[in-house]
Amino acid sequence: MSEPEDELDLQALQRQLDDAFETTRPRTGFEDDLWLRMQSRRPFTSRLSDALAGLVQGIRAVPAVPLASVAAVLVVLIGVGILNLSGLGRGGAANSSAPLALSGGATRSAAGPVGSFGQLPSPVFSPTGVGQGPASSQTAPAPSAASYEGPVALTWTGRLDVSIGTAPVFRYSEPSTDSADQFAASLGAALERRPAGLLGLYTASDYTLTVRGTIQVPAQEPAYFILTASSLPGVSAAGAQPADIAEIFLAEHSLAPQWPYTTTVDGPADQLKVHFQREFDAPGYGPAYLVDGGGNRYGMEVDLNGSRPVLASGPLPLSLDSASYPIITADQAVRAALASAPSPAADAVAPVKVELTSAELVYTLVAAGDHSFYEPAFLFSGSFQVDGVQYVKRVLVPALDPSQRS
Amino acid sequence: MLADRPPFEDLYRDYLGRIYAYIRSQVATAADAEDITAQVFMNAYQAYARFEARNTTPAAWLFRIARNATLDHFRAHGRRERLRRTIEHQPQAEEDPAGEAEERIQYRALLGHVARLPERQRDAISLRHSGLSFEEVGTLMSCSEDAAKMLYHRALKALKDSVQKEGV
Repeated sequence: MSEPEDELDLQALQRQLDDAFETTRPRTGFEDDLWLRMQSRRPFTSRLSDALAGLVQGIRAVPAVPLASVAAVLVVLIGVGILNLSGLGRGGAANSSAPLALSGGATRSAAGPVGSFGQLPSPVFSPTGVGQGPASSQTAPAPSAASYEGPVALTWTGRLDVSIGTAPVFRYSEPSTDSADQFAASLGAALERRPAGLLGLYTASDYTLTVRGTIQVPAQEPAYFILTASSLPGVSAAGAQPADIAEIFLAEHSLAPQWPYTTTVDGPADQLKVHFQREFDAPGYGPAYLVDGGGNRYGMEVDLNGSRPVLASGPLPLSLDSASYPIITADQAVRAALASAPSPAADAVAPVKVELTSAELVYTLVAAGDHSFYEPAFLFSGSFQVDGVQYVKRVLVPALDPSQRS
Repeated sequence: MLADRPPFEDLYRDYLGRIYAYIRSQVATAADAEDITAQVFMNAYQAYARFEARNTTPAAWLFRIARNATLDHFRAHGRRERLRRTIEHQPQAEEDPAGEAEERIQYRALLGHVARLPERQRDAISLRHSGLSFEEVGTLMSCSEDAAKMLYHRALKALKDSVQKEGV
């Protein structure tokens, strides 16, 4: 082959390479998925990085034990609750409004006849009923130090006052793509495409909206994720605190929580995360937090970069039906909690003695196909120290009477 | 944030595709490329506060992280695994929906040939066609700009021979 021909071949090959590299791109949705993962983990990893001085390199879920080793540092980073009016944000509309056809997440009816949903599925909690929650952008840190995953011997020294014999169970129907489209349309976002595994990806002038359905394991309810464009200006409100900025942003986008909540803020100054921890009302008991399988409270979240909302995520507003179900007694709950610690193997290290000192009624999601449920549970917790490091042990006990299980 | 440092979000949007393409040209499967790409941007996101634009370009900084992550991937999987993956680097029709343009399959085959080049030649081709200047390629590969040009042209000829020998 002559030299000019050879040169022409090389030029053609270069053009092919340019085209090959230019057209090789990740699958549809990968860009948004990864960005969401980064946004959801940034404050968390920042705290770890600060504590470990760059020793933590992992991108997957951070193992619980290394996390526990910096619990003493983490514990002081948990934000202070920012309270509305009486001290608790009540969402304002949990009992009164249904702004969307989806009813904004409000409970559609008072608790129906006892057991009217029939036999219910059992919840799946983290191993041994304790632990750090799933790495979800909807997961908020619990108001305590990191969880401890080693062997423990549990005792109960607290007091659990539960005088109610029944508690409501809440049920929602799995949303369809039409439901997701309707939600997006109510926000002014237009469908762009339906990536695999999602109900839809939508765009608006200053953000991208992703909506997905229920995740079975670990259970997560249908949720939306709003990723704002870098062109979105910060929220301008004189004297506004981070929680105020988040609330203003949500209100401007018709996303203010339609359920009772408590607000907390955490994260470093330039990467604040505002949590709207969801509560359910249990008549005769009061508000009960929604927690994930690790006992972490969650609900809606807004990530802020200064005054600019970067990411907002929360449960897709869905209508909830409710029905009363009998629950176990406090004594039964305590016995179940103490029995949750597995017997150590003969050659295992000696278990750490842990006093569970507090307990509360909470709600957990039980994903179950076409219909999923928010069911009551008891969350026990106790703090202890090992080698000078502060830990917390959490135990979740299903509250429903076992006779109601399918 | 320094005025000469763009928001990380801009960097992410601008470079995600190019970084992915670079990594995809090195590894055998799209799944591996996605995993490594995710690691690159997670690491970059954490380290961005320490990035100083006066010392390097954002592109060179990101590609350095990508190159190291790819090398880590190969180290983790061992030489044998790397050879197997390289040998098996074939166009995967199932990744393209039916009717996808045939040229994309050809491009993937072409990247398969790139993946089988010696490491430095493969790097020179991949970095250059990911949009880096020869100066940036040289910096990343610890050689001068002229040496990077020579390495690239040798790699291009080797690639041409490989393509002509086995076809695309």
